[in-house]
Amino acid sequence: MIPLKFDYEVAESAQHAVELLGQHGDEAKLLAGGHSLLPIMKLRLAAPTVLIDIGRLNDLNYVREDGDKLAIGAMTRHTDVEHSDLVKSECGILAYTAGLVGDPQVRHRGTIGGSLAHGDAASDLPGVFLALDAEFKITGSGGDRTIAAADFFEDYLMTALAPDEILTEVRVPKLNGAGWSYRKFNRRAQDWAVVGVGAILERSNGSISSARIGFTNMASVPVRASATEQALSGASVDSIAEAAESAADGTSPSSDIAASSEFRQHLARVLTKRALDEALSR
Amino acid sequence: MKAESAPTRERPKILPSNPGKIGESRPRADGVPKVRGEFEYSSDLRVDGMLWGATLRSPHPHANIWSIDTAEAEDMPGVYSVLTHEDVPGRKVYGMEVPDQPVLAWEHVRYEGEPIAVVAADHPETARRALEKIAVDYEILDPITDPAEALREDTPKLHLSGNVLKEVHIKHGDVEATADVVVSGEYEVGMQDQAFLGPESGMAVPDGRGGVDLFISTQWLHIDRDQIAESLDLPPEDVRLTLSGVGGAFGGREDLSMQIHSCMLALDAGRPVKMMYNREESFYGHVHRHPCKMEYEHGADREGNLVYVKARLVFDGGAYASSSNAVCLNAGTFACGPYDVPNARIDSYMLYTNNPPCGAMRGFGAVQVCFAHETQMDKLANKLGMNPVELRLKNAMKPGDKFPFGQTVPEPAPVAEILERVENMPMPEEEEIIGRDLRRLPGGVSNVTRGEGVKRGVGYAVGYKNIGFSAGFDDYSTASIALSVEDGEPIIYVHTAAAEVGQGGVTLQAQISRTELGVENVAVLPADTRIGSAGSTSASRQSYVTGGAVKMACEAVRGKVFERVREEFGDEFGGELSMEDGSVLAGNRRIVALAELLENGGIEETVVYRHKPTYPLDENGQGDAHFQFAFAAHRAVVEVDEELGLVRVVEIATAQDVGKIMNPQSLEGQIQGGVAQGLGLALLEEIQMKDGKVQNASFTDYLLPTILDMPPVRMEVLELADPDSPYGLKGVGEPPTISSTPAIVAALRDATGRELNRVPVKPEQLAGIEGEPIRRAPQPGSRGPVADDLGSEA
Repeated sequence: MIPLKFDYEVAESAQHAVELLGQHGDEAKLLAGGHSLLPIMKLRLAAPTVLIDIGRLNDLNYVREDGDKLAIGAMTRHTDVEHSDLVKSECGILAYTAGLVGDPQVRHRGTIGGSLAHGDAASDLPGVFLALDAEFKITGSGGDRTIAAADFFEDYLMTALAPDEILTEVRVPKLNGAGWSYRKFNRRAQDWAVVGVGAILERSNGSISSARIGFTNMASVPVRASATEQALSGASVDSIAEAAESAADGTSPSSDIAASSEFRQHLARVLTKRALDEALSR
Repeated sequence: MKAESAPTRERPKILPSNPGKIGESRPRADGVPKVRGEFEYSSDLRVDGMLWGATLRSPHPHANIWSIDTAEAEDMPGVYSVLTHEDVPGRKVYGMEVPDQPVLAWEHVRYEGEPIAVVAADHPETARRALEKIAVDYEILDPITDPAEALREDTPKLHLSGNVLKEVHIKHGDVEATADVVVSGEYEVGMQDQAFLGPESGMAVPDGRGGVDLFISTQWLHIDRDQIAESLDLPPEDVRLTLSGVGGAFGGREDLSMQIHSCMLALDAGRPVKMMYNREESFYGHVHRHPCKMEYEHGADREGNLVYVKARLVFDGGAYASSSNAVCLNAGTFACGPYDVPNARIDSYMLYTNNPPCGAMRGFGAVQVCFAHETQMDKLANKLGMNPVELRLKNAMKPGDKFPFGQTVPEPAPVAEILERVENMPMPEEEEIIGRDLRRLPGGVSNVTRGEGVKRGVGYAVGYKNIGFSAGFDDYSTASIALSVEDGEPIIYVHTAAAEVGQGGVTLQAQISRTELGVENVAVLPADTRIGSAGSTSASRQSYVTGGAVKMACEAVRGKVFERVREEFGDEFGGELSMEDGSVLAGNRRIVALAELLENGGIEETVVYRHKPTYPLDENGQGDAHFQFAFAAHRAVVEVDEELGLVRVVEIATAQDVGKIMNPQSLEGQIQGGVAQGLGLALLEEIQMKDGKVQNASFTDYLLPTILDMPPVRMEVLELADPDSPYGLKGVGEPPTISSTPAIVAALRDATGRELNRVPVKPEQLAGIEGEPIRRAPQPGSRGPVADDLGSEA
């Protein structure tokens, strides 16, 4: 299908994009890689009258070290995150998960910022950023602000971004040797995750000092496996299987044509165990 | 708009660069252009000044319509035509077997997506918005969505004829027979979609004299034409159809979609009208494979000889008849599988419901029952403690046996041989999980397992089906062969109305012509209604029937050539005449070049070819209903992640009798494609319905297998000639789809010990979150894991 007609503006800078958003109000949408927005426009689930193209903001395409963190520009393509030596060595889970987003075409056009701002809990990255305790830098008419990943995702396809704001950068901690894993259940390659689990495990003296676990598609927003995280804090490495049994506690995932709520909870438990096992061995 | 704006009617030549005779591997004429994006599909049709048609569809599966108000839509700028049932000039219903389906609904809608009005406008968006301006006053009714409910006496009737669309009862031998060993089961097949990649599309062009030309992707031009002409109230000669580029069919284009609508709009607006469904609309625009619930009981003696089969089949025909009558009959006749069954009682029911109309799809009734009878054979083997292949071999039907419908099994019927072949093919090697390419693990590149819970299983199945149209149908094809000289070279023009839907028929027609007449240059003309019917491109029949017509027309031309040779050169040649390399030979001696012989005029012959007649079943379901049978066997090897329910099919091995290999490359493609469709039904593909509404009308949510889901296919092909068919060939398109599904599910049972009585199998079932607990040990003779804790058959 072909989307409805729209006007098209090119932003020359993040500030310019914010100005254009201010001019056009909430009828406007930012166009980054276009691999979330254009499909829903074709399906008529969105019908913005103005698209503001930020695809030329090359100065937002970067990966940098920033002390004990990595700073990644919002317009960095998935494929660039996937293949960045810096991301691979300092935050392997992110490089790995970026390589599981969609298909090669999506990864070459789609951007990290676009995926996060779209706010789809069935996408692979939001849950991983949540597990990473990432920070998002947002630019608006009043200047920049920073928000924690935990506060960014508000509801299904809804984020803390105001209509005249743009996500410009994400910051994630270096893993410093922590083990990690991302496990994704889908029935065919390139489909959305029915459930995904991202896990980061820090060890000290043969036991687990902390576990951070983020879920894909277990709620309308990405959520953490809090009960399992608590059970593993300071626990023995032998307690993973038991702790994973509580992975779905407190979740109420949707039942839809892809899976029942009950099956999603089952998948969350199995995948959490497998992810933790792999994180431990990594 | 006058005819000068119509697409060109000149006859393009296809294929001169694609030589080859029968038996040689030849790439399809349409293959490379499709891969390169250069093939013109019907969705690519366009002409200056054309309008765009769009269809208003019912959002309700069951409702009364009190009024349809089109005034506001008609007043919109850019809108040229808004039509409802009142504007149908002729017969207001259509249908191949039973004309029960409204061209445009009046008074009632019986399924979600039923067309109510059509619009033509100067832009597709204008047409779409005009649809929104049409006000329909519905009274919503409770939909009848369960065939068992439709069957009950007290259920409201969806049609004047009642809710039972068709029933077939087969009584064979002693229907009260009893046996020492009995197994029974209930089985279910979900609603599969043909899922062709080219959505329905076409363009109607008014001829300015009241008639219309339609360029359309379809499976059968003449049955379309006849239905269109009836509804337009035009003589058939005023409705001319030309096949446009078809993007797959698999049965889903046998019924009409927008054919009548686009012609009505074009005639009303006086301009060409193009219609093209999008993917979502396509799910509402064609019929699907019938969902089916089946109750089976098999009886055998203690040595494993089948004594009887009892089956009760209940098909969901959906809202309208489509080809459901024939599906109901086919399923009944094949319900016992390719086995020698002395006694049988088969009751096959087809019900009207408020679900989408169901009709033809590759396998046509044989698919559903094969899943059930093959599961039953495995159950029986398990109960007898026999190897499942051994049980099948013991009962395999042979020429001279009687089918349950009374017909004698003809030569060749190599059921035992194809089973032995798949059993004897080498097994794929077991591979270490660690270090394996992710694409060869359950879950694939998503990398969910490092070996946790992965088990291997092996399963077998065999199936069969009729080729062509059966039970008394006058099934024929027409072909015209013109042999002439152009630029000093002989050339053959082949003309038929056979629809090339991707099966390779165009290439085959050229191969046959080249073989019969010994002429290198062959042009296959576009299929259209200027020639007589070729019948449908379905039922695996075109190689046989249109292939037979082309061969017969070539023979007629050859006869005329020889007559002319005798006229000019006498008849004392000292050898049989033949045609080769553009010349007429006597023995090895060249008599004359065709370029010379035909200098002053070519030869053209048109013939109609019929296979031997078939007969309807009598009241006991007995009769010589079919004229050819095709058999295939499959072995599936799978690996299952038991905790997650993910499956990787490791390999499919298959053996199939094709009579004669006409084009090895094309054959291999048919077998691979059929297996893919069978795999889809086993594991992924289902239109999910809820309260009469489709839940997954997209290729995001309707899961088609991709290249990554397809295993290698190991195949052995038998060439046991059918004495009645051209070249001894058998239809090949459907058998790969029929038994691949049950073979895969048998392998899943072997790996997991679960019953799995419904396809597609869901991960929930394999993981034990939904459905029955593990009740059975893996099949004896399997190479799957044998765990002690699985218990044995109760």
